[in-house]
Amino acid sequence: MASGATAPGIRALRSRRRPPLHRRGLLTLLLVSAFGWSLTAVPWGAGLVHANGAAVIGRILGALLRPDLSAGTLRIALAATWRTFAYATAGVSLAIALAVPAGVLASGVLARRPGVRAVSATAFRAGLGGLRAIHELVWAWLFVAAIGLSPWVAVLALALPYAGILGRVLADMLDDVPAAPLRALRAAGAREWQVLLYGRLPMVRANMVGYALYRWECGIRSAAIMSFVGLGGLGYQIQLSLDDLRFREVWTFVGCLVALVVLVDLWSGAVRRRLSA
Amino acid sequence: MFALEGVAKRYGPLEALAPLTLTIAPGERVALMGPSGGGKTTLLNLLAAAFPPDAGRLSIAGRPAEGLRPGRELARLVGIMPQGFDLVPSLAVVHNVLAGRLGEWGFARSLASLVVPRERELARTALARVGIPEKLYERTERLSGGEQQRVALARLLLQRPRAILADEPVSAVDPARAEALLALLVGIVAEEGTTLVASMHGVPLALRHFSRVVALRRGRLVFDRPSAAVTPEEIEALYALEDAGTRGVA
Repeated sequence: MASGATAPGIRALRSRRRPPLHRRGLLTLLLVSAFGWSLTAVPWGAGLVHANGAAVIGRILGALLRPDLSAGTLRIALAATWRTFAYATAGVSLAIALAVPAGVLASGVLARRPGVRAVSATAFRAGLGGLRAIHELVWAWLFVAAIGLSPWVAVLALALPYAGILGRVLADMLDDVPAAPLRALRAAGAREWQVLLYGRLPMVRANMVGYALYRWECGIRSAAIMSFVGLGGLGYQIQLSLDDLRFREVWTFVGCLVALVVLVDLWSGAVRRRLSA
Repeated sequence: MFALEGVAKRYGPLEALAPLTLTIAPGERVALMGPSGGGKTTLLNLLAAAFPPDAGRLSIAGRPAEGLRPGRELARLVGIMPQGFDLVPSLAVVHNVLAGRLGEWGFARSLASLVVPRERELARTALARVGIPEKLYERTERLSGGEQQRVALARLLLQRPRAILADEPVSAVDPARAEALLALLVGIVAEEGTTLVASMHGVPLALRHFSRVVALRRGRLVFDRPSAAVTPEEIEALYALEDAGTRGVA
């Protein structure tokens, strides 16, 4: 009988391998001193500083009290808000669709034999790592160069790194569920994919949905930033207004972005509470 | 149902089970007794084919244990009664009960059942038999410990193994509920003709509900006889403390 294919027992016999406590303390010390050293490596003094910065800051803050609420600006703001929201939602939805199968494969839980498991986990974890190593803004530049200014650029540029992040988190969660219910399912005759459907996925569902909602919120901020490359949306409008030094318009668009993020946060919070209740 | 011939198991230097020869007939209700670390759990794990013995021959339902494939084949022969915390907490009770059918179900049916439960009548009947029919669609984590054990028992009813193995099945519930739960378990195995092998802590409980007692101490068989023939002196000797030097915490 291969070690990966033994029947479920009454109790777990092996516990997880962990480094001994004193070595973890040593590691912590090492990391903290590395952080301390890094502070000395930053060139704090140098840099290019705006000579007349204080006056500009005064103008920006003054504009905060009087955002531009004219019909024309509001119409642009609404359209840009909707576009940013649509990019984020489409991008994160596509990311979830990619992340679920990739995350399951990256966790290796479907493979029975340890060799297959290691190969599947290593390959898919590396793939997901590659996706999220590149920031969404860089993806956007790459896609703009390759495709041009199309809404697809925004959606894909958001979906790829987010799939990398969500897939990785899902894989870790699937690896980390309590073992006893899984053992009981195997004892009842369930195969590994049934253990996934009836054990692992239901146990990570609440956390994973909560995390995906949080990522959606991050996606809205990212979509706003990404539109700086010329894709339209709130970030693009903020950039245009800044270029013309129209700070009152800037605050209108920033207000829309804040309102959008807050609304999404309120809604996702309500969903999370219902899931965990 | 189970036949052991010189079956032994050791963990490194520790002899968990000295060579043991034992036969358990179909329909018997066997209580494994003895102090902690005596080999009860090791024996149950061997009977569950969780690992092969180091020596000797073990056959389950007339077939050599090492030839049984884990999964559906083994699940039809041997079921494990968990200690009560082995259900999937976030699933509805009905799915935890229907998980007993997974060995027989294919992909489409398993997936579809998570959306609209299949074979609901089976689940409903099983829950009624364990006394909690009203909990069918409740989230499992909202149930009390005793109720969760009843759900686990309902799952075993759907799995219908020929033998049920239980590791201290009632240690997690209070004495009054332990009695009721054990009566339920024993009643069900009697009706179905299922073999039951359970490790037991409570002596009176074990003697009342089981037909045979197998006593183990330090991996060795101390006695093996019908419950009615066990004397209080034997029980006392079985659990007696050795001098403090040789005996650990346990």
